[in-house]
Amino acid sequence: MIELTIDGLPVLVEEGSTILDAARFYGIDIPTLCHNDGLTPYGACRLCVVEIGKGENAKLVSSCTYPAEPGLVVRTNSKRVTEARKVLVELLVAMCPSSKTVQDLASAMEVKKVRFKVEHNDCILCGLCVRMCEEQMMAKAIGFVNRGKDRKITTPFDMKSDVCRTCGGCMYICPACELRCQGPDAETDLCNACLNVQPVCLKEEDNKMCFLGTCGWCYEELGRKKKK
Amino acid sequence: MKKIHKAADLKQIKENIIKNSGKGKTLITICGGTGCNASGCEKVISAFRREIKKQRLKDNVDIKITGCHGFCEKGPIVVIHPKGIFYKQVKPKDVKDILTETIVKGKIVDRLLYIDPLTGKKIIYEKDVQFYKGQKRIVFANNGLLDPYKIEDYFAICGYEAAAKALTNMRPEKIIDEIKKSGLRGRGGAGFPAGLKWESCRKSKGTKKYIICNADEGDPGAYMDRSLIEGNPFSILEGMLIGAYAIGANLGIVYVRDEYPIAVKTMKNAIEQAQKYGLLGKNILGSDFDFDMTIVRGAGAFVCGEETALIASVEGKKGEPRQRPPFPTQKGLWGKPTNINNVETWANIPYIIKKGSKWFASIGTEKSKGTKIFSLVGKINNTGLVEVPMGITLKEMIYSIGGGIPENKAFKAVQTGGPSGGCIPKELLETPIDYEKLKEAGCIMGSGGMVVMDEDTCMVDVARYFLEFLQDESCGKCLSCREGTKRMAEIITDITKGQGKEGDIELLTELAKVVKDTSMCGLGQTAANPVLSTIKYFRDEYETHIIDRKCPAGVCRDLYISPCQNACPAGMNAPGYISLIGEGRLTEALALALDTNPFPSVCGRICDHQCMFKCRRNQIDEPVAIRSLKRFIGDYEENGIEYPSIVYPKEIMPFKVAIVGAGPAGLSCAYFLARLGYKPTVFEKLPVAGGMMAVAIPEYRLPKKILQREIDNIKKIGVDIRLNTEVGKDITISQLWSQGYQAFFIAVGMYGDRRLGIPGENLENVIQAVDLLENINLDKPVVSPAGKKVIVIGGGNSAIDAARTMLRMGAKEVTILYRRTRREMPAYAEEVEAAEHEGVKLRFLIAPEKIFGEKGKVKSIECIKMKPGDFDNEGRQKPVPIQNSNFFIDTDIIIPAIGEFSDVSGLFTGLDVETYPDGTVKTDKHGRTSIPGIFSGGDVTSGPATVINAVAAGERAAVTIDQYFTKDRTRKYSWREHKKVDTYFDPEAEPVKYGMQKPKVLPPIDRKGSFEEVEMCYTKALAIKEAKRCLRCDLEIELQEKLREEKPLEVKR
Repeated sequence: MIELTIDGLPVLVEEGSTILDAARFYGIDIPTLCHNDGLTPYGACRLCVVEIGKGENAKLVSSCTYPAEPGLVVRTNSKRVTEARKVLVELLVAMCPSSKTVQDLASAMEVKKVRFKVEHNDCILCGLCVRMCEEQMMAKAIGFVNRGKDRKITTPFDMKSDVCRTCGGCMYICPACELRCQGPDAETDLCNACLNVQPVCLKEEDNKMCFLGTCGWCYEELGRKKKK
Repeated sequence: MKKIHKAADLKQIKENIIKNSGKGKTLITICGGTGCNASGCEKVISAFRREIKKQRLKDNVDIKITGCHGFCEKGPIVVIHPKGIFYKQVKPKDVKDILTETIVKGKIVDRLLYIDPLTGKKIIYEKDVQFYKGQKRIVFANNGLLDPYKIEDYFAICGYEAAAKALTNMRPEKIIDEIKKSGLRGRGGAGFPAGLKWESCRKSKGTKKYIICNADEGDPGAYMDRSLIEGNPFSILEGMLIGAYAIGANLGIVYVRDEYPIAVKTMKNAIEQAQKYGLLGKNILGSDFDFDMTIVRGAGAFVCGEETALIASVEGKKGEPRQRPPFPTQKGLWGKPTNINNVETWANIPYIIKKGSKWFASIGTEKSKGTKIFSLVGKINNTGLVEVPMGITLKEMIYSIGGGIPENKAFKAVQTGGPSGGCIPKELLETPIDYEKLKEAGCIMGSGGMVVMDEDTCMVDVARYFLEFLQDESCGKCLSCREGTKRMAEIITDITKGQGKEGDIELLTELAKVVKDTSMCGLGQTAANPVLSTIKYFRDEYETHIIDRKCPAGVCRDLYISPCQNACPAGMNAPGYISLIGEGRLTEALALALDTNPFPSVCGRICDHQCMFKCRRNQIDEPVAIRSLKRFIGDYEENGIEYPSIVYPKEIMPFKVAIVGAGPAGLSCAYFLARLGYKPTVFEKLPVAGGMMAVAIPEYRLPKKILQREIDNIKKIGVDIRLNTEVGKDITISQLWSQGYQAFFIAVGMYGDRRLGIPGENLENVIQAVDLLENINLDKPVVSPAGKKVIVIGGGNSAIDAARTMLRMGAKEVTILYRRTRREMPAYAEEVEAAEHEGVKLRFLIAPEKIFGEKGKVKSIECIKMKPGDFDNEGRQKPVPIQNSNFFIDTDIIIPAIGEFSDVSGLFTGLDVETYPDGTVKTDKHGRTSIPGIFSGGDVTSGPATVINAVAAGERAAVTIDQYFTKDRTRKYSWREHKKVDTYFDPEAEPVKYGMQKPKVLPPIDRKGSFEEVEMCYTKALAIKEAKRCLRCDLEIELQEKLREEKPLEVKR
């Protein structure tokens, strides 16, 4: 067993665990996006960064890949960590503002405004589908091509793959191509209402049933109108 | 070929090689490195071979094609041993002369010698060239001596002796200990101690281990690793052999870019030769150690220089890094412990083993040991590869070894560490080159790229360039690096296009910090450096781009109309009025010039014409004579041009503004205020208006009549000038305040002469230059220099003016003494030339020590000779006196002209206006002083500057004062808006090539005793001819706009 400290709490975990495993075991929440318990850690989304080390040597590392080491002092919610996560999630929203997963992450971090030019990508390049296809479906039908800003996920040579069984595992795990929330009018604004307010449609308006479920969008809208 | 089985065999082979090598023969080494190859060394080599055959010199000379010598700027380089005669830029046609003169007759071919740019002296021997003198070459030392395809050459210079020592006499732990003690740090950039890395790899569990040489050099402008492999691959092999033995690895891999075909070839050849000699393979040098090597060629991805990405690439996977730990020394190639070091690190190993860790640790600074090779490129005189000891300052590197900036331009920044490094400004040139110190400055050591940038570089554009590079080269795996570099590039590109927003700098900084903090590998972690360092040191440049929508360096094309207009401090529309002159529409041209400058005629004579230095016509033949053309329209009366009718302002502003000082700044401020409807009052202590223009510039450069006419024109639009009124003495600011003045513009200039501070300065006939010129201009009595000897001290424009004036007044002999060299004279080059034509003598590197008198009058002056000393941050060499070199010059009159100072204490009595220690007034960018309502500009805030700078300062102040009253920051000012002219220009037409039409000048013989103007005005025909030379850069933007309109918009999904 390895002993380390997370957020001031001494914890004991089995050898081979990552910081993320340790934190989750003790109920400490670290946001993740490209992580999935059934897949190998990838460390691409950087949302799970935590601060380790002291003074000048303090640095941010991705907790999903960093092995728990004896005596390690981890801070999962320091100022440096939260500020970094906010910018990262802002970058994610700017990439794919309609993804509910990304929106929820942003809401949880109280990011309400996106300062970058908004793009509407279908993919946030988290690599979940690639690992799903390779590790769980044993197909290896898709992978990354190109680098930098041209990076994308596709089949070899963009052709129909022979090894793809159209199992749909990639779509199942994708955080970008799932249920979309259209959000309030301005695309750079996030209302966060679903996470921050109780469902209120019925309270405010007698007969309205919202098809989106407990989103709270209308409540936000009402508040806006009242302000005007 | 005999295999080497033990150390003794090696010795034997070495002795044989030395015995058989041509004794008494002359050796000609020709550089075959990357740079010299590009300058055509191939042809020189074949010319040598041909010519040697033809002249039957085969028994007298040997030729050797070596690797890079380093001094790539002067390639192809030929060095003749054993003397070490250094010939630069050798062409095939020079080969014959080298052989017949130098080889046969033993003479030097003069025209091929290197000329030192600072001293102008010709240098014969390689060791005396300043570029080499400042270096300390260890790793690079043998590059110019051996043939990279012959391992025997390496044996001859004691090659593999270190390996023999290590493998036969040292235990692996001992070797690692030596490397640890030596303090060698990774030369790839991060500077991790090599010994610790080796130890960690040795201690890792597992029987199979690998070592890798990282030769994936990818920084733009860096080519030192390449040159090392191309010049001396054997030292790298030897280093790797020692390393493998110490670590316990049996396979070494050289990962080299496929874009380096010569490097691949030499390395492959070196491995084969080492295998043949048994220096790779089984039981090397009689030990029980086996080691072999292979080459893996990289496909040229920048990120593959990162060790985990490199390993992935060697394994045949996509070159992408993975999160460390585990480190490669624990789990690397194929999951086995792997030690990766840079080319230069490996190349250092044999020298450390051979000479000992103590020797190595004695070089460099406390934490950074040894030497480092840099590729010094960019705007630098001596482009090339330099190896210097750690701890040398950037200043020495750039000015001494690098030979300074070409064309005498000003240094702006140096970028170290490639695209992920940072930019270091002029102020930090004292920084020693050392891992920690560079990091403190916001930079990294990197693998050794060093790009020097001059005044023509836009730092925002530099950051944009590197970000573009990085966003292409980022592997794209982690979000922060991929999206972060993309977004940073996006924001910066917007800024360079004039679409920057307030808050952009803050957003960039915030984003950059996160990218630095959260990225997975070194690429992302350093990708923010170009942004952060340029923002840190050049924030004002970013602000100018965002707020003023201007690019001071004239690089960002969307932000300026034409290079000349961008260079002009007052932003005069030169292409506009020049094209109007070209069509003979002279009144319109004058109106356009007067729109931004009330002194076209004055500036047409004495401006320092920054515009002409940036003129694009210069790239074809010569710049357009913008200054002389301005004078042509400025002299409207003489040239029969109708003066444009004055449009009086519609609204009258009810605020009273007082302007103190009727110099160019004060009068310009009044001019622009009057055009806005104010009725400003100018207070001047002298009996004439015009400030320095009136009293410091001699008649032969600027006739009084011309100046007076321009001042009268300013008066006509509603400016009141009160002469003989000194504010602070005759009337105070508070008194003026009580008279209803609500805003004050202080533009009193610099008027006190700086004293020499040497004995005898108070003698009669020691006259300060400004006093002298002022008295002459105001018709006050001055000492007659007729038939006398005059000495002027100083190198500025007033020194030249004083000297030429004295000559005109009949002085027998006028000598200017200057303590620095001609190159560093602040006076305009054309003025210095004219003075020489007229007979003024110039003596450089001389400083006055003491003035001797007789009966209270000057008799002689004692001087001391100086020599150029250390460089300052501007690249000027501080003059140092040469001991006991004193000498005397007999003279009758001495005129010190070493600069001016200002004193505003009397003016601001009772007011708490902040000033700098040198007496200049502290203001912000807009001319606001620390007290609201008091503004300042011109020389009194900036120090001595030019008329056009003063005009710009006056205009700025007028706008600030107007905004102070109206409180409207969005107000439009008509003269600030670009005015398109409707002249005809065919952008397709090829420019007709003819040089600058120079106006006539008064012959020197006619200048004596006369104060007639030296330079004459253009005739109309000549002016039109000259104006037609303009290439109309201002139309570029208009054309682009037109093209953009024609192109259909890109459809976005």
